[in-house]
Amino acid sequence: MPLFADSLFADRHPPDGTLRRLLDEPAGVADGDRAHVAGCTTCRSTLATVRADAEAARTALAVGPALSTGVDTAWRRLSASVDAETRRRTPAAAPARGSRWRTAVRSPVVAAFGVVVVLGGAGAAAAADWLEVFRTEEVTAVPVSSTDLVALPDLTAYGELTVVAEPDVREVADAAAAAEATGLEVPQVDALPTGVTGEPSYTVAGQAVAEFTYSADRAAQAAAAAGETLPPPPPGLDGATFRLQAGPGVAAVWSEARGVPALVVGRVTAPTAFSSGVPFETARDHLLSLPGLPDELAAQLATFDGKGTTLPLPVPAELVTSSTADVDGTEATVLATRDGTVTGVVWVEDGVVTAVAGSLGEDEVLAVARELD
Amino acid sequence: MTAARSAVRADLEQVFRAGYPAVVAVAARVLGSRDEAEDVAQEVFLSFARSTVPAAEAPGWLAVAAAHTALNHLRSGRRRAAREEAAADGSRPVPDVAEDVLLRAERSRVRAALARLPRRQAVALVLRHSGLSYADVAAALDLSPGSVGTTVRRAETALREELTRRAPVR
Repeated sequence: MPLFADSLFADRHPPDGTLRRLLDEPAGVADGDRAHVAGCTTCRSTLATVRADAEAARTALAVGPALSTGVDTAWRRLSASVDAETRRRTPAAAPARGSRWRTAVRSPVVAAFGVVVVLGGAGAAAAADWLEVFRTEEVTAVPVSSTDLVALPDLTAYGELTVVAEPDVREVADAAAAAEATGLEVPQVDALPTGVTGEPSYTVAGQAVAEFTYSADRAAQAAAAAGETLPPPPPGLDGATFRLQAGPGVAAVWSEARGVPALVVGRVTAPTAFSSGVPFETARDHLLSLPGLPDELAAQLATFDGKGTTLPLPVPAELVTSSTADVDGTEATVLATRDGTVTGVVWVEDGVVTAVAGSLGEDEVLAVARELD
Repeated sequence: MTAARSAVRADLEQVFRAGYPAVVAVAARVLGSRDEAEDVAQEVFLSFARSTVPAAEAPGWLAVAAAHTALNHLRSGRRRAAREEAAADGSRPVPDVAEDVLLRAERSRVRAALARLPRRQAVALVLRHSGLSYADVAAALDLSPGSVGTTVRRAETALREELTRRAPVR
């Protein structure tokens, strides 16, 4: 609707953007601007150019005849992909006896946390610069900082979260020292991609352990604070404790003059979640059903499917693309910033998570990943 | 409750059926090819299936994801095409319809021009020409509706300049 103030500014030529909108949505343009354009030869001439460009773009972007495949066919194709993905995530059998801490889950998000420990845990390490690259791309949901364990405390609304062991993140002299510190086979890159030179710096991290104990009382309070009633928790959940454990890990970082690491290769013992009785998924599904659960936390928890052998990081699709690729027979997750400046690939094999990332193309990152020793 | 099943969104089929044609249309505008657009649509919905995007926000999310994914394909596709061309030994089948060749050349110039646009401009342009309102484009790209016109206008100017500058001499 027209504002009174518009008439005051009607003498001014409206900007091109306004003229552009005038073509599509005249009602979205202020009355004063419309009146001005109607009576202004300069603006009408500009409008003609704007219209010609818009028309040219319309023609250039025109698409051919209708769908070649029906929606039904396309749906069957998608269903097949989704089913295949679901099957891959379903474990063969659940190990269910023995120690008090029964292995219940190899959680992708905890795995992400594990990579985080390696890549982001060292505020001082060069790896942080690489994370900074992601951060400048506003990929805030990529759990790539040591604060991620601190981010888990959002769970404190639903119970007790205790950090049992902090990873002791530090830089070491070389690959041999890194191997000794972590007990991991330190990945060796034989052929560096074009533009990546020199020796990497090595950062190692010990094991990080956190425990979360669910409290029905606290969850009820959180629900009440959100003006809701707590759905009844599954039997045995109240007081149940889950132990999340990640590390040790190592990261090799090749830096670039600009300070943006050109290449980062990280490896970490696949993180695991243990439960003392109630399966972790039960707790997760219950938490997800809670009213007032913050969206971000819900998104984070939802990816705790506990079945993943790949590492689907909870990244916002509008900022980062994610796809899958094969790395020596293992399915890997490929992440790339939308502008293509940073690409990473992450996979889990035999209980070890390996990540390769850098300011490289997908082809280059995958080539490094496939050549790792 | 089966864990395996609960991993799949219950609303997936509904969102898919409602949104599939629009997603293909957006991707096709970027790629100039329905076939490739359908592949992009599969990728987009697979991402959606894994996501927790509320169904109400799905149309905007899908449109943006379609544009981005297709623009990414454009890049990798261009690289692939360049490699294939470099690798071709001259025995490649030559299309025998001259008009078809011209049409294809024109198309590939448009794609190349799109790939060179700043990403936000390219997405705004494609979404607008796919029929999203200024308000929809604004919401999808986190812009004010006022600046959508400016962004689209810049994209169209840039597209015209790219196409003029690189127009083949006839």
